[in-house]
Amino acid sequence: MMNDKNNKIPFNEDNYTHNINRNNERKLDRRGFMKTLVGAAGVFAISSLPWGAIAAKELTGLSDKKYPKHKITDVNSIAIGDAVDFAFPSEHDSAILIRLSESKYVAYQNACTHLRCPVFWEKAEGEMICPCHHGKFDVETGEPIAGPPRRPLPEIHVKVQNGAVYAVGVKRYEA
Amino acid sequence: MKRSYVPVALLLAVLFLNIIFTQYMVHQYFYEHYTNTIIAAVINVILFPIAFLIYKKGVNVND
Repeated sequence: MMNDKNNKIPFNEDNYTHNINRNNERKLDRRGFMKTLVGAAGVFAISSLPWGAIAAKELTGLSDKKYPKHKITDVNSIAIGDAVDFAFPSEHDSAILIRLSESKYVAYQNACTHLRCPVFWEKAEGEMICPCHHGKFDVETGEPIAGPPRRPLPEIHVKVQNGAVYAVGVKRYEA
Repeated sequence: MKRSYVPVALLLAVLFLNIIFTQYMVHQYFYEHYTNTIIAAVINVILFPIAFLIYKKGVNVND
């Protein structure tokens, strides 16, 4: 039985180069380099897929969250161009409601998306301003327009019912 | 065996675009501009078949 075994291990040749058949076979040549580049492009393509998928999910509004509706203020007690502070959805999430016209209200969580300072409504300028680093936000959309913040303020959906303004939901609320 | 290094240069350009669009995609995701994120992701995916075609042409013609 011992005769079945290969007693010549490692077999009798230069063990480090026995699988190289021609000169410079292991050298990275032009073709091999191009293969590497195509492979890298493939890795980039594959790794882009989850980003696109998550972005699409955000766009479809699947991550919009509903909260029990919360009365902010009476329509009579807020004049056009004025703002009122409230808290939504929890008592620690300060937010701001701004009445832009007779029927148009906007509300945002007012923690600045830079370093979470409270954002104020500057009626004379028509902008929302963060006093810490002079970040400015567009009042219609919550998009940052100046200063360090680069992400929009989380928008709160509001509804007017029976002469009062209610907060009903938050776009992208992160506690 | 006359080699052409044009495909190599083109592939390097594709890789460069990949890097640019990947960074753009990640930043736009952070800024919550999701439409731009999707556009950048689609471009990144399209760049792969382009790179593959460049490779195919470069190998067949010039080697």
